[in-house]
Amino acid sequence: MILRAVSVAVGPGLTLVRGPNGSGKTTLLRALAGLVPLARGDRHVFGDVLYIGHRPMLLRGLTARENLEFFARFRGGDTRGIDGALRAWGVGEVMDRPVERLSAGERRRAALARVETERVPLLLMDEPFADLDDAGVNRLRQSIAHAREDGRTIVVATHAHPELDELARARIAIDYGAATAA
Amino acid sequence: MIDRIALVAARELRAERRQPDGVVAAVTFIAVLVLLESLVVGPQIARDADVASALFWLALAFATILATMRSFDRELEDDALEGLVALPGGRDALFGGKVLSLAVVLVLVAAIGGLLSLVLLDLPVALPLHLLVVVLLGVVALPPIVVVDVVLALRLRARAALVPILALPVLVPQLVAATRGTSAALTGDALGALSWAGLLFAFAVVYTVVGLTIVPAAIE
Amino acid sequence: MIETTIPRGTPLPRIRPWLGIAAAASFVVASAMALFWAPTDAVQGDVYRILYVHVPLAWLAYLAFVVVLLASVAWLWTKRPFFDAVAVASAEIGVLFTGLFLVAGSIWAKPTWGVWWTWEPRLVTTAIMFVMYVGYLLLRGLSTDFSRRATRAAVFGIVAVIDVPIVHLSVLWANSLHQLPTVLRIAGSPALDTPMLVTLMVSLGAYTLVYAYFMSARVSLELARQGRLWTRT
Repeated sequence: MILRAVSVAVGPGLTLVRGPNGSGKTTLLRALAGLVPLARGDRHVFGDVLYIGHRPMLLRGLTARENLEFFARFRGGDTRGIDGALRAWGVGEVMDRPVERLSAGERRRAALARVETERVPLLLMDEPFADLDDAGVNRLRQSIAHAREDGRTIVVATHAHPELDELARARIAIDYGAATAA
Repeated sequence: MIDRIALVAARELRAERRQPDGVVAAVTFIAVLVLLESLVVGPQIARDADVASALFWLALAFATILATMRSFDRELEDDALEGLVALPGGRDALFGGKVLSLAVVLVLVAAIGGLLSLVLLDLPVALPLHLLVVVLLGVVALPPIVVVDVVLALRLRARAALVPILALPVLVPQLVAATRGTSAALTGDALGALSWAGLLFAFAVVYTVVGLTIVPAAIE
Repeated sequence: MIETTIPRGTPLPRIRPWLGIAAAASFVVASAMALFWAPTDAVQGDVYRILYVHVPLAWLAYLAFVVVLLASVAWLWTKRPFFDAVAVASAEIGVLFTGLFLVAGSIWAKPTWGVWWTWEPRLVTTAIMFVMYVGYLLLRGLSTDFSRRATRAAVFGIVAVIDVPIVHLSVLWANSLHQLPTVLRIAGSPALDTPMLVTLMVSLGAYTLVYAYFMSARVSLELARQGRLWTRT
């Protein structure tokens, strides 16, 4: 997927990126996260970024807790809040099982708990609703609302899901490589 | 930077301890090869110091490739690699962490494979301490190149064939030095063993520096 | 914030046809000098004349790979597609010349030493270099995405070129520390008198022109391919 002449600026609060499948949402988020090389142009980000992709990005062989501890330690942060965050996301029971033995929904919840355990100013989430049940969706909305109140910048890419609309400060509609403010 | 490399290595080793696919594949491979070697060329020729060392290091080079590919396969499941690379400094720590953890895994593989060779072939060891030094340095010299080549072949089709084709020619100096050093240690040539060991150390340093510099650019 | 660029095709050098003519003409002159003008060697007889092919091929093999190294570094540094085109062009031409060098070496070795192949360090190094660059082209062939392919190839190109002198030294030391049973040295290369030296210089110049002509043709082909690739996506 190639984005052409796209220019995006996001500030504190929630920004939603909307667009059909294959329109370039993921590419935009990955570019913001610094994961794809830019053929041309610049990327200016103030502060560290937390990117949660459309897959959980947890290493198999480690437990959910160990994965989150690794991420937190790598950022030089402390690991004290991890148990609490995993429990709040409803995966306290299974957090000491290797992640390959968790269900898809449990893995997703464990990955989303990173919003609380890695307190960086910019959050990028790609289709965070995937695999979540109703309770999980509620938890995610709460979590994003808290992050917004803490003054963090949150960018969520999703093709549908109106659940976040009332929280959003700005919306970006993206369609086949071109972005417009909506 | 060093802390982060240590964290990546610890993460890898913990996953490998719980799911030891890499170690099991590498150890089985080297054991099968040592057995076959003695059968195919006959125990008399296989006992020759040069022949035994050469086959041991070729087997270990392939075992390194197997273990490294297995380690990156695990990274690709659920995009774990992307989770690491998206961390600040993750791109830079990946290479060092993988090389470090692989060296630890290989020490184990080399120990098992080496003991098996010594026992099965009833190899006389003239200088056990020198042998230990050569094997340890050889084990450190192999992973940098292999990790670079596995990263380059990541997600490509036919990468199982591509990685050995890319890695083995570049590994010629390491394999020559390790084989000659091992053979020297087996036959009692102390000076030879130590000079090849020194060379192996130099290779390990050079390619680790090259990898640390260049690999972050190759990870997308 | 994110933009992609369609590479502007670098203006094709107008000199290419002239380069072709110069390369062809000097190649004919060099061949004539090598075959008829240069004197017969006292020791080896006429067989030695393959030297005028062998030495320039070796020179080009190494020149081509140094160009790959420089172009790879330049690509990683600037990300200008032109440098990737130079790298792939030089690698392909380099593989060709390295292959020819190995064949010419065998043809020379048989009548001189009675074997098709010897484990002489320079030959071994060149053979390993040949395999490395086959790997380089294979890596390129299996990658699809343009920028990833260029970056991966550049990284391998740099590692491999750094490795070539180290391979040479390790093979050299392996032979000197543990004398191989059948080491044959190329030390028997004839001492060159002036007409021989002049012929060799002319040959070197002619082959370099051939390389330059091949390069210009292959680079412009690659740039055209890149243009097509970029307009399609």
